[in-house]
Amino acid sequence: MRFSIGRIAVITRKELIQLRRDRMTIGMMVMLPLMQLLLFGYAIDTDVRHMPTVVQDADRSAASRDLAHRLEATGFYTLVGEVRDYPEIARAFRSGDARVALVVPAGFAAGLTAGRPVEVQLIVDGADAQTVASATQTAAAVVSAWSAELRARGGAGAAEPLTLSSSIWYNPDLRTAVYIVPGLVGVILTMTMVMFTAMGIARERERGTLEQLIVSPVRSIELVIGKIVPYLAIGYVQMTIILVAGAVVFDVAFVGSWGLLYALAALFIAASLALGLFFSTLARTQQQAMQMSFFFLLPNLLLSGFMFPFEGMPAFAQALGQAIPLTHFLRIIRGIVLRGATWPDLVPEVAWLAAIGGVLVLASALRFRKKLG
Amino acid sequence: MTAAAAVAAGELDDPALVISTRGLTRRFGELVAVQGVDLRVRRGEIFGVLGPNGAGKSTLIRMLCGILDPSSGDGRVVGFDVRRDPERIKERIGYMTQRFSLYEDLSVEENLSFYAGIYGVARRGRRARIEEVLAATGLGPRRRQLAGTLSGGWKQRVALASSTIHRPPLLFLDEPTAGVDPVSRRAFWAQIHRLAAAGTTVVVTTHYMDEAERCHRLAFIFGGRLLDEGRPDEIVARSGLRAADLDLAGATAPAAVMDALAAHADVMGVEAFGHLARVVTTGADPIAIAAQVAPGAPATPARISVEDAFVAMVRGEEARA
Repeated sequence: MRFSIGRIAVITRKELIQLRRDRMTIGMMVMLPLMQLLLFGYAIDTDVRHMPTVVQDADRSAASRDLAHRLEATGFYTLVGEVRDYPEIARAFRSGDARVALVVPAGFAAGLTAGRPVEVQLIVDGADAQTVASATQTAAAVVSAWSAELRARGGAGAAEPLTLSSSIWYNPDLRTAVYIVPGLVGVILTMTMVMFTAMGIARERERGTLEQLIVSPVRSIELVIGKIVPYLAIGYVQMTIILVAGAVVFDVAFVGSWGLLYALAALFIAASLALGLFFSTLARTQQQAMQMSFFFLLPNLLLSGFMFPFEGMPAFAQALGQAIPLTHFLRIIRGIVLRGATWPDLVPEVAWLAAIGGVLVLASALRFRKKLG
Repeated sequence: MTAAAAVAAGELDDPALVISTRGLTRRFGELVAVQGVDLRVRRGEIFGVLGPNGAGKSTLIRMLCGILDPSSGDGRVVGFDVRRDPERIKERIGYMTQRFSLYEDLSVEENLSFYAGIYGVARRGRRARIEEVLAATGLGPRRRQLAGTLSGGWKQRVALASSTIHRPPLLFLDEPTAGVDPVSRRAFWAQIHRLAAAGTTVVVTTHYMDEAERCHRLAFIFGGRLLDEGRPDEIVARSGLRAADLDLAGATAPAAVMDALAAHADVMGVEAFGHLARVVTTGADPIAIAAQVAPGAPATPARISVEDAFVAMVRGEEARA
């Protein structure tokens, strides 16, 4: 048979007609590049700013306050509070309230005036290796600039009147794997939980078995729970595999409590399953369910703090990120695995996750019931 | 219940009736999908629901199954109110569609076991019940085969077995034989009659008129309304139609003869079956008309089918609209 442009045109035409009738796909084809552009171009700024910083000021002088304000003036640090001792710094780090701590020793102002060499300390949370270098460098620059000022004034006897010592807590070797591995648990859970649930129900609809179930005495709540229980178990298996393999292969030590992590993970898995359920009420076919899940994955990777530091994102991207369950789960799992966070440290994140999860479960239950009836 | 209420409820509570509705109506916005349907289906009856696509058959069935609320009217199915007790109804009915909603990646036995569980077949009797159904349907040797790899006829058997696994007193079949070969269809209808003889009431929607004639009673639905109801022979008799087969094998211009017959005022339709032309009239003697239009062509009286009655009724309604 001869090669026929006419036949190709007929097929192309048919594809276009089918595509035009598939609103969901069209919508995603338009939205995907737009979202990518906005997310990558706008939201993703790897230059970190506004690192939440606590100050342990044992000197309580005008000079020590001056130092803190000089740090804040760089735009790199945002002062979020004062702490009294090292345990309080650790608590702020564990809960994720602060990533940097400035420690000013007693006698700071007096030392400067007397011309004695003075040392201040900068403590950085090393869990996110990406941010550590710039955090220490910026502070070092501020301190050495002030030191040069003091020298120029000539009052001081010391060669370097003011110095900064920095130390890194949690992950002092600054290995990226330490940060990525727990994050990966969240990403994998999101992907599988959302996709499996969405596709599982879309499959029943596609094959007509959902119709069969609707006329049976099965209640929608029974159907939903019955379907998600195996996925819940799969979620825990996945989490265990990643954490164990991460410990064995990448030497990521598990600092905190397994029990706490597994308990809190249930909240996150439930939120993800609810979202999958919601997608399943929108998708008519398995293919659409799959497309939607991938579509959803993108903002998860970019806005949750998995790939790029949350602190580096502009306000609107952070606001979007706050609405994503993964954002909060990442803070929880990193807190527990890397910094040994305990229940009181995590209350705010858990509250966020519970609120988002609650909304999702409610929305998907209402929509699912309506679609079934 | 007081005597007055019992009278008001009337036949709706007649224990011999498995389905009874009064003025059952369902609207979707402006559209009236089902309008004022009064239906009575007795125990052990095979009840056919006929109607063109979009006539309101599935809306009616969905209301009877308790998965769609009526906009107005009342209905009792297997002794329960469709509005108040849909869950009780769902437990007591079987439902099978043309799609044979099986899990294709489960084996025959696993499908049966799943539906037995869904319909609450007691765990103790479940094993025995599945064995019984496998034996009755001849599915025993294929019990471990995946449902997806079965042919249409076998899938149909599994679907029927699944939807009757809990011995429902009432079975709904929605175009159950679409896409199934004639041999399997016969076997299927034999099975349906066995179920009915054992006391199961069967409500079946179908497009196949030969299947309609296998039902004890029929209801014609058109435009959401119940046009006629009765035994197939009653419906045929009420239609008043008459038919003859005209042998056109010797005719010089058979197409022209058929056109001339169709143009006759008393002729409802002419259809070609090979060399035979089947002439259906609205009551006039078809043999006389044939002798008039095509003298010399041999004509013999023919039987009026449910299909003829159905087509006449639909045409009449369409002409009125």
